[in-house]
Order: sequence, then structure tokens, then C-alpha cells
Amino acid sequence: MKILVPVKRVVDYNVKVRVKADGTGVDIANVKMSMNPFDEIAIEEAVRLKEAGIATEVVAVSAGLANCQETLRTAMALGADRSILIETDAELQPLAVAKLLKAVCVKEQPQVVLCGKQAIDDDANQTGQMLAALMNWPQATFASKVMVAGGKATVTREIDGGLETIEIGLPAVVTTDLRLNEPRYATLPNIMKAKKKPLETLTPAALGVDVAPRLKALKMAEPPKRAGGVLVKDVAELIAKLKNEAKVI
Amino acid sequence: MSILVIAEHNNSSIKAATLNTVTAAAKIGGEIHLLVAGSGCAVVADSATKIAGVSRVLLADAAHYADQSPENIAALVVAHAPAYSHVLAAATTIGKNLMPRIAALLDVAQISEIVAVESPDTFVRPIYAGNVLATVQSSDPVKAITVRTTAFEAAGDGGSATLETLAASADQGQSKLISSELTQSARPELSAAKTIVSGGRGMGSGENYHKLLEPLADKLGAALGASRAAVDAGFVPNDFQVGQTGKIVAPQLYIAIGISGAIQHLAGMKDSRYIVAINKDAESPIFQVADYGLVGDLFELVPALTAALD
Amino acid sequence: MSEYRAPIRDMQFVLKELAGLDEVVQLPGCEEASADVVDAVLEEAAKFAEGVLSPLNMGGDQEGALFKDGQVTMPRGFKEAYRQFAESGWTALGCEPEWGGQGLPKLLAAPVSEMWKSANHAFSLCPLLTSGAIEALVLSGTDTLKQTFLEKMVSGEWTGTMNITEPGAGSDLAAIRTRAEPQADNTYKVFGQKIFITYGEHDLAENIIHLVLARTPTAPEGIKGISLFIVPKFMVNDDGSPGARNDAWCVSIEHKLGIHASPTAVMAFGDKGGATGYLVGEENRGIEYMFIMMNAARFGVGMEGVAVCERAYQRARDYARDRVQGTDIGVRGGAKVPIIAHPDVRRMLMSMRAQAEASRALAYVVAGAHDKALHHPDTELRKQNQAFADLMIPVVKGWSTEIGIKVASTGIQVHGGMGYMEETGASQHLRDARISTIYEGTTGIQANDLIGRKMARDGGATLRSVIGMMRALDADLARQGNEHLSAIRTRFQAAVDELARAGEWLVANYAKDVRAASAGAVPFLTLFGIVAGGWQMTRAALVAQAKIDGGDSDPFYPAKVITARFFADHLLSQAEGLASTVIEGATGVMVLAEEQF
Ligand SMILES: Cc1cc2nc3c(=O)[nH]c(=O)nc-3n(C[C@H](O)[C@H](O)[C@H](O)COP(=O)(O)OP(=O)(O)OC[C@H]3O[C@@H](n4cnc5c(N)ncnc54)[C@H](O)[C@@H]3O)c2cc1C
Repeated sequence: MKILVPVKRVVDYNVKVRVKADGTGVDIANVKMSMNPFDEIAIEEAVRLKEAGIATEVVAVSAGLANCQETLRTAMALGADRSILIETDAELQPLAVAKLLKAVCVKEQPQVVLCGKQAIDDDANQTGQMLAALMNWPQATFASKVMVAGGKATVTREIDGGLETIEIGLPAVVTTDLRLNEPRYATLPNIMKAKKKPLETLTPAALGVDVAPRLKALKMAEPPKRAGGVLVKDVAELIAKLKNEAKVI
Repeated sequence: MSILVIAEHNNSSIKAATLNTVTAAAKIGGEIHLLVAGSGCAVVADSATKIAGVSRVLLADAAHYADQSPENIAALVVAHAPAYSHVLAAATTIGKNLMPRIAALLDVAQISEIVAVESPDTFVRPIYAGNVLATVQSSDPVKAITVRTTAFEAAGDGGSATLETLAASADQGQSKLISSELTQSARPELSAAKTIVSGGRGMGSGENYHKLLEPLADKLGAALGASRAAVDAGFVPNDFQVGQTGKIVAPQLYIAIGISGAIQHLAGMKDSRYIVAINKDAESPIFQVADYGLVGDLFELVPALTAALD
Repeated sequence: MSEYRAPIRDMQFVLKELAGLDEVVQLPGCEEASADVVDAVLEEAAKFAEGVLSPLNMGGDQEGALFKDGQVTMPRGFKEAYRQFAESGWTALGCEPEWGGQGLPKLLAAPVSEMWKSANHAFSLCPLLTSGAIEALVLSGTDTLKQTFLEKMVSGEWTGTMNITEPGAGSDLAAIRTRAEPQADNTYKVFGQKIFITYGEHDLAENIIHLVLARTPTAPEGIKGISLFIVPKFMVNDDGSPGARNDAWCVSIEHKLGIHASPTAVMAFGDKGGATGYLVGEENRGIEYMFIMMNAARFGVGMEGVAVCERAYQRARDYARDRVQGTDIGVRGGAKVPIIAHPDVRRMLMSMRAQAEASRALAYVVAGAHDKALHHPDTELRKQNQAFADLMIPVVKGWSTEIGIKVASTGIQVHGGMGYMEETGASQHLRDARISTIYEGTTGIQANDLIGRKMARDGGATLRSVIGMMRALDADLARQGNEHLSAIRTRFQAAVDELARAGEWLVANYAKDVRAASAGAVPFLTLFGIVAGGWQMTRAALVAQAKIDGGDSDPFYPAKVITARFFADHLLSQAEGLASTVIEGATGVMVLAEEQF
């Protein structure tokens, strides 16, 4: 069984981004970039499925600039067997990425696509579901537990009221939530091996996909800053403030 | 121009998030139709006719809609969507699961978690954990949108929509609900609560969390929430989590106890009207957003606060 | 609370622009370390340092290693972290591939080890000591010894120690008294007490391999009568598993100022009939072998200085951004500002940052030279690089660790009263940093080594060649019209002249009056450190300015130029005073009779 894991290169979790002075975008030049944390969880899950003898191959795929290669190398250092870069300097929106992934799925015929539930830059939370729609595959989003057996996946999902478990036929798209697993640290030998694992480069044109953006960003702005308040000295003062000043209790 | 809002419900009553979504639809302008798809859910559709601003309620009742799987609901919506200029759902786990599937089948972009409507084709949405607000414009014929419910008031009642029945689409048979474990609670639901008491890693254990925070929440009639750290540590289940990837809340009063205030947590609660922070580390970032901060040992302060609230 | 973030950007800059990474990866045996591998290794090491080691640092300090009934229990989390560390292959980074290592160059090992040290000094000592022991075995062990021990040490399953110090033998190794008696089966029985043995006992690994300096019965007195032995905690069975307990025991561990999580053991060998030891290399050549690995060990301790400069800087900077106190100077009734707005706080932060960057650059340059000394195909270049590394290692060790203490102390000052409180973590850095100028040879010993073995012995030839390299920058500097680079040029030229003046004086007077020369040894080491650090900052400024002139908009570059400018005006400017102290200071040092103290 082959698992495809899409990975996105995003501004690192710890970086607080700034909006460009002219409001045309976010300044990400010279900012630390990393693999989207949810994608790391997806890679980890795929590698565990392989270690458990359920999957036979884990293929990482990324779309974007040439330096997404670094993210793919990280994926391979974490255990992906090979990877595919769809290289483009075009702005990619989720629908376009889903179409690119569809083209890769047609070519690679994976049984499971494991994606992060959202990317921490655009916070869109769309790509996995869109890919499932385009492939006409079932989807299991926000997974906190995944079991694969007998051509089916049983997935526990994190939903607003608690948890639910669904069963879907394969092939399917599963998107990962935070508590699915705790990704490992790459080992040094695997970092070295990753360099020698195959990385294939494709282009949107070669895949026959039109990636033109559908949404136009008119403006970026920072939300109004919350002014810090006051420190109160004790519980009595806190209650007085909540009663008399804020009038919320 | 008419707008289709997908109602969120459990086959017996409508979820509050639907009301906020209707308000967002009203901001866009145009006739609002509300889709109630489920099984044995006529009662939901009936009550929905009273939501202010809704002109038509469309009921699709079929056994295979019982679980409202995204595969089946998307198939249904896509059959009707081309007649609409906008399709809206709440940015809840249900809406987030469903809407991208609809958008992709319609070959349109989705605009996720809008917090403001600038014009019928232009919306504001947060990105980068709410650190940036992007204003985006869509040129697609149908705009597929999810709505951050905390950013819009709930629609009132007093409406008198007509009720129509839609023919069910074919069962896709792709997904089966096996079980669900819903948290039972007499407390208000987190995303709709006026007051939230939220605990972090500083609680030390699940036992402490319940022992200290439940009495306080009971006194305040508050919902209980948690930081990711507290959920990861197993103090409380996942559906307590407030943050970038958990629930986004904006109550009147948010009391953060033993929460340091990572930006990912702040992203989920910083639109609260008043924020109170109780933490022993005066350097915690939570104090930078708190209206009232109390530095000290939560194991003393929380019981004292609870006791003083009579 | 400030969290450690590995300064990957500066590390990459130094590796690529100053320390010759491109050249090093061309060397035979270093080809694995291509640019993308280097970046990936730095990224992943940073994740580990930030995510695993750094969070244990403060708890480790508070809890400390615990001794009970001959056993040491490590603070919470250390065992699991060590297991992960070893399983991730970090212990094997620089080791020979033959024994399961990755064989990566020292130039890459340097930033990686800096991260471990910044994140958790106490933890980092365990792999540091192990790699020292590995190196000794690789260089001088018999095949059987290598086969028995190396693989498990490289994999981190077993750890290593260095048993040198005794109650009567610290700086003076010639005074070592531990005995080793040859046995019929070619092993030895070792008897004696060793003190201050880092990681001499712990519960991180299943076996501990002690390297012990001792004398055989026929050994001549003094430094030429010391041999090196391997004494495992558990004997090794034929199948490689740990067997019977050897007669090497931890009797207690020390209560210390800092590095509380690093157990410092008093070791008793042979209390129950003799500890079985295996000779490494030949008898009586122990010190010689030790000196070969000493370079690596001293370099490693020097990196502790770099690491603490960085860590203390990050913590102080984070605090200075948050702490609001006072208004902008010169603004009456203005808004309250974070203390980073105050000129003196900025001065402190810049001095911390400038010394972190300068000591890092110097250390990595020396690491790169060490790689070239080991691997360059050209014999002459190998020799030159070895001489350069030999000269600079006491400077890296002595200077970086001394400034590490000062920078950690400045870090406390930036915090004000909170810095003196343990809860900010600022004071732990000072307490932890305090050891680095002591072990692996005190600063005094480094300075003696520098002026004696490294300068006087070759008549100052290597020193002059280094000064020549420094002066060679002037042509580039002269071409720059830029205000900052002209200011740097003036300071740097003057400082190099002072280094030459003091260095030539030492070389000329070492034989004539070694006591007078010695009195100025540490001030000279400081002078050398400052000028060598300034040399690297000047090179960095030239590279950065070229990038700026070439249209690169990365804000890293202008910041580098200004940091170099700060270093020139605030540190290089001290060169003249130090040179005068070296040359004229002996009288004040030497004249009082001992009773007058
Ligand atoms: C925490 C800790 C961990 C250690 N770990 C180890 C370890 O793992 N293995 C090990 O073998 N040892 C270890 N040591 C021992 C360490 O290497 C010695 O303490 C150090 O070499 C100094 O020796 P000493 O303590 O005997 O001081 P001394 O040699 O008595 O020195 C006292 C002072 O005299 C000065 N001095 C001495 N001789 C000279 C001289 N010839 N010229 C100028 N000045 C001189 C020194 O600079 C110093 O200022 C450790 C020590 C500590 C504190």
C-alpha cells in the first residue's frame, strides 16, 4: 500500500509575521521556514504505518518554490521513501494545490493520502477535502487515530462536541489533527540518507493543471492590538473590577 | 442574488452557529435560503422557518443523511448550488469538513472563516493564527464561504420562511459512522458561552483541573475551556481546546488560569470582551492581553475567587 | 520566559563566509557534508536542542544529580533525553564511519555542539567526555580494545570519562599517583583515587568506560612516566554485553556552584583487590596521547564559552524587550518604555551579542583549520593549518570561556534584581559558565601553553603568520568608502599592532625572564582573543558590506556590520591597555614577597 503525504513549507511556528508596510502582503523574506506542523504529523503517521507493515511506500509531495526541496528532504529524513516536487513560483491557493495533487494521485495511485488538516500560514483547512472531492474519494478529516486494515480505514475524528469514529473505504484522504501522534526527531543517519533518496521534479504545466489564483488579496493588515490591562493585587480587587468596571459578573 | 446557508443540527434541534452564519449572509445581502439536510429532521426545518432573515427553508430528509457525511451532503448541495451566488456554513468542524468538498466540486475557491463582509465579493479573514487580517476578493460565480461565528451576532427569531422539500441525492456510500463520544455537560457550550473558565498546563493534573475549575465555572455559569498544553497533557478532552487549531471563542469574560498564552492560544480567545489571567509567572505573555491580571499561586487564588463569588 | 533558539542564521554565515565550509567539504573524507546536508543537520539539531535539551536545563539545575549507595540518579527527564539523543545518532556525528560514526567534519560538529551547550551545559558534558574517550581509543587503542568498546561508545550505548585529576594532581599532571600493576594476562590492576570526574557515575547508560591516567611500577618519575588505561565499569563479556562489576566505584559526588545536573564523581579504583584496566598504546606515553585529544577537549570547552554568550544574550534580550521601566532618556513625562530603549541596556546587549558572534566566528574558523590539518591533500597546508589550530586552541578555550562568564554576568545585570533571582534562569548561566575556565586546564594553564609551547617554542613564527593574515585584510578595508568599515579599519589596524608589539616582546623575553613573561600570559591571552575575535568580525563586516553593496536586502548584513563596529569601538579599543600590561605589568605582579600577601 502506498501513502502519499503532501507537505507544505511555511513560516516557522515560532515566527511572528509582520505585514509589509504597504499592506500588500506578509513579509516573509529572510524568515525561518519549516514544514507545516500538521504535515509533520502526517509524515509521522505514514511512517508508523510503514513500520507496522501496513504501508509499503511513503511518498512526500510538495508544491511551490525550488526551496521546498528542503522540506521534502526533511520529510525523507523523517522516513518518507522518496518525494515529488511540483516546482512553480506561482502563488498557489488550496484549490490549485488540490488539482496538482489530483494529478499526482492519478499518476501514483496511492491508497491513502495523509495531509495536515490546515497549514499554519493561510489557516485555510481546505486542501485535503478538496482533493477528496476531486478524486471522488471519501474523506476523514481531523484524525486523532487511524487504523487501516482490509481496504478500509477506521478513523477517530476530533469534532466540536468530542470524538467520532468513522469507517471509510480506500482509497481515501485523511487529514491529521494535533493529537494523532507526536512526530519523532529526525536521526542523523536518516538526515544523511535523505540526501540520497530520489526527488523527482515536475511542473504544473507538465501535469496539465491551471494554477491561476481565484482569490485576489486586496489588503493585509494587522488586527488592532489588545492593550494590556492592569495587574490587580488580590482576589477582592479582581472581583471589584469585574463587578464595577467591566460589569461582567 | 440568493444565498444558501447550510444549517447545522443534530436532527432534533438547530445549532446556534447557524444563527451567526445567517447574520453573515444577511450582511452580504440577498434572499437567504436555509438547507436542513438530515434524517427525521422535519422538526428542525420547522423551527428554522422562524429564524429572522430566512425566506425559504429547504428540507432534504433521507436515511443516508442521518450522519450528514460530507460526501452525501456535498453531493446534495452541489446539485443546487449553481442557482446561488453564495453558499455559507459555519466554520465549525462540520462546516470545515464539508465546505471545501462543495467548493472543489463546483470548481470554485473557498473563503475560510470570514470575520467581516466588505461587499458581496470581498471578505476579511484571519491568517497566521489571527496575526494578520487579509481582505480577499473572489471572482468565482459561486462563493463558498465558512463563517467564524464569534464575529457575527446570532440572528433573532420572528421570521416566517416557507418550507420546501428537496429530493435527496443518491447515497454515495463512502463513509459510515461507527460511534461517537460526545462530551456530556450541563454547562453551556464553549463556543456559545458568555463566560469561559479556561485552564492550562499550570493546573498540574486533570484532577486539579476539575477540582479547582468546575466549582468556579458553576458559580459563574461558565463553560470550561483549556489550552493545547492542558489537552495534550490529558487533563481534559480535545473538545475543550481553545486556540488557532481548536475552538475560537469570544465570550464576555474569559478567565485564563495557569495558561502562559502562546500565540496559538491567544489566537483563539483574544477577541473576548474581558480577559482575566491568573498565573504565577508575571512574565507570561497572557498578561499582555489580559484586562485584569493576578500574579500568584492558582492553587490558592482560584479557591479564594470561587469562595468570594457568593 | 526566554526560550533558546539556535542562531542558525549566524551559524550558517560563519560556516560559509568565514570558516571555509566550501573548502572543507571538498576535502577527502568530508564530502558527505554538502551544503544541503549541513543545513538539514543544523535544523534538526536545533529542533532537538530547543525541544528536548533546553526544557530540561532549569529543572536539572534545581534537582541536580543525586548520589545514594554508590549510585547516581540523574534529574528527571535526563535519561529519556539521553536515550533519544543517542538513538538520533548525535553521539556519532564526528566519529569514524568504521565504528558506526557519520564522519562529519569538525566544522559541522562545532555548531551542533554549540547548540547542545547553549541548551543544556550539564547534559552536553556527557557526550563531550565520551567523544574525548573515543578519540583516545581511535588514536591509540589496540584492535581488540577498539572492537570491544568503540561501537557501543559511538552509538552512545556506553559513555566515557576522563580520569586525570587526583587530590594532589590538578594542573600538574606530573604529580599523578594512581598505580597500575601489570598482570600475567596482559591486563593491569589499577589502584588509586580520582576526583572531579565528570559523569564518573550516572544512570543514563548501561556501561561507563573510564580512561584513567596511572603509573606502572617501573615508570620514571614525572610526566614521562604516565600511562593511559581503559577501565570499564562493567567488564565486557565475549558477546559484547556488560558482565561482572569492575572494581571502579563512585564514592560520592560533589556539591557545586553550577552544572548541578552533571555528576562530578570521586572515583575509587582498586578498593576491592584492583580494578581491571587495559593499556592504551604503550606504557609511559599516556600524556602524549592525552595531548592529542586535548586539542579537541579544550576546543569543546571553549565552545561552552561561545554557547553561554549566545544563551545569556538571548535571555537578556527577551527580558529587555518585555521589562518596562522608566521613560526614554531626555523625554520628560514620556511614555514608559521597555528597558531595551535605554542606551546602557543597549550597550550591554550589544557587548553580549558582539562577543557571542566574535567568539563563534573564531571557534568555527579554528574548527575548519583543524579539518584541513587532518584531511588536506597538501602536506604543507596540513602543517600550516595544524600550527594555526595549535596556536589558537588555547585562545579559543581561554578567551571564550572567560568572556562567557562576563557575558553571563552582564546578562544578570540586564535583568536587574530579577537576574539575581534563580527563577529567571539568568543566574544559572553564570553559575554554569563558571566551570569552563577551570576544567581542561585553567585559563592560567592555557595562557602558559600559548606563550610557551605555542609561541616561544617556534620563535613566534606561527604568531607572525597569523598577524600577517590579519594585516592582509587591510587592502580590502582600504577600498571601502563606508563609514563603519573605515572606523573598523582604524581600530583593527591599531589592535593588530598592539598584538604584534606584545607578542614580539613575549617571544623575545620568554627565555630571558620566564617569570615576567608568565605574569603577562593571561593578559596576553585576553589581548589575543580580542584581536582574533575582532579579526573575524572585521572579515564578517567585509562580507556583509559586499552583500549590501550587491543589493542583498537581508537585514542580517547591516546588523553584522554594526555589531562589528561595536566590537571595534568597545573591545578592540582595549588592545593598547592590554599590550602595555603584558609588557610592563610584571613588576607589580612579582615584587612583593610571599609573606607580604
Ligand atoms: C566540575 C568539575 C569537573 C571536572 N571534571 C574533570 C574530569 O572529568 N576529569 C578530570 O580528570 N578532571 C576533572 N576536573 C578537574 C579539573 O580539570 C581541575 O580542577 C583543573 O585542571 C584544575 O586543577 P586543580 O583543581 O587541582 O587546581 P590547581 O591546579 O590547584 O590550580 C589552582 C590555581 O593555580 C593555578 N595554577 C596551577 N598551576 C599553575 C601553573 N603551573 N601556572 C600558572 N597557574 C597555575 C591555576 O590556574 C588555578 O588558578 C573537573 C573539575 C571540576 C571542578
